[in-house]
Amino acid sequence: MNKFLSHLLAVLLFLGFMVFVVMNQATPVRFERLEGYGGLFLEGFINTVIFSFIALIGSMVTGFLLFLISKSKYQLLRAFDTIFTEIIYGTPLLVMIMIMAFVIGPAFNVFNRPVMGITGLIVYITPYMKNIFRSSFSSITEEQFMAMDLFGFTSYQKYRYIIIPQVVRILMPPLMNNFSLIIKGSALLNVLSVRELFYAQSIFHSRTFATVVGLITMWMLYIIITIPLSQFIRYFERRWSL
Amino acid sequence: MKLDIKNLSHTYDIEVLHDLSFQLEGKRSLALLGQSGSGKSTLLRILAGLEKPTLGEVMFNDKRVTDPEYRKGVGFVFQSHNLFPHLTLLDNITLVLEKTRGFTKEAAHKRAMENLATLQLDDQAHKAPRNVSGGQAQRASIARALSVDPEVIFLDEPTSSLDPILTNDVLTAVEELRDSGKDFVFATHVMSFVRDFADYVIFMYKGKIVEHGPPEIMDGPKSEEMRSFMSKVR
Repeated sequence: MNKFLSHLLAVLLFLGFMVFVVMNQATPVRFERLEGYGGLFLEGFINTVIFSFIALIGSMVTGFLLFLISKSKYQLLRAFDTIFTEIIYGTPLLVMIMIMAFVIGPAFNVFNRPVMGITGLIVYITPYMKNIFRSSFSSITEEQFMAMDLFGFTSYQKYRYIIIPQVVRILMPPLMNNFSLIIKGSALLNVLSVRELFYAQSIFHSRTFATVVGLITMWMLYIIITIPLSQFIRYFERRWSL
Repeated sequence: MKLDIKNLSHTYDIEVLHDLSFQLEGKRSLALLGQSGSGKSTLLRILAGLEKPTLGEVMFNDKRVTDPEYRKGVGFVFQSHNLFPHLTLLDNITLVLEKTRGFTKEAAHKRAMENLATLQLDDQAHKAPRNVSGGQAQRASIARALSVDPEVIFLDEPTSSLDPILTNDVLTAVEELRDSGKDFVFATHVMSFVRDFADYVIFMYKGKIVEHGPPEIMDGPKSEEMRSFMSKVR
């Protein structure tokens, strides 16, 4: 069977399963209950994208700083990186978000929960970002640097024409993977009443009690972002990988 | 070539070259022999100006090898091709010519295509290094080394990552450069190539030059170290 047909069939299989699940609910599932709540879901959807994007940019900055710290010649800074990374690896994202909003934020007089929630997300992703910077830069071999020196490229030329173009290509797929992680992780911000997609679904639920409709709609909206993203990563890897 | 090494020592964590002194004049092609760890790669890199020696002084064709200007007249071919992986074979050469040698776009393109043609790669010019064979990539890196019109070309075990057929491919290409008027200094384990191409041989062992002379010394080594080496590589 060819590739397209098999994929089509697999998609139909999942759709069939969903239809079966929807048809077998105790009370009939009526998608018309969504009427009047489109704006609510749209707002949640857009906020999820915006918050995730902020967290992506923020964690790229902090991740790069942590990468520099981990490369420092000072033992103290490298130790800081090790300890920080261990702490983050040992902490569930939900716990990190709660600690940020209710423990660390208030200690600094910050009571804005969305801000602290997104900060928690940024802090949580930081070591993962550090890792992708580390692996991207380390993929440029010492011999390449020797060749650059030999030909007499200036520092600017090395970065502009040789290092950055390679790093970007190596960085993109894992970066987009992390973006996907952030989008999915941002659902946890609902515990802080941040008006993202999961929270929109909770409001919809509390007003209509159409649980199944709300959950399926939310699910589909997440998938609308994440699946094209992962497809883009694959395309990028095929087209641009080194 | 004219080579003058005075009291050269080099240390990484341990000393890899021990107080070498050596003079050579009037040869075209110098081979460095020795086991891995004998210091020949380090010596090659120092001669090419890629590494600064810890102690001592090295002059090549009357230029100090630590002088940045000297490097501009050097071509270097690494063990693995070491092309910039994000650029096509052609762009690997034109980037160097345009950015470091002041060529115009057109002139760089013309020169690069000539060099690629010399190594029978003109039809592969627009491919990325990962899309050509190891032998082709290594030949492209020779083309890149040639493109800057160096006085001397260094080759550091250029075929160590290739199978026998590709090895032959690359070494034949190097032999065809014999009449290019350039000096060659190379390290290799392919003895037939040394016999064909070198007109002087240095044998190194544990950071010292143990024997040197014309390629014929390979047939009658005086030292125990070189005799043992030759019996293993033959």
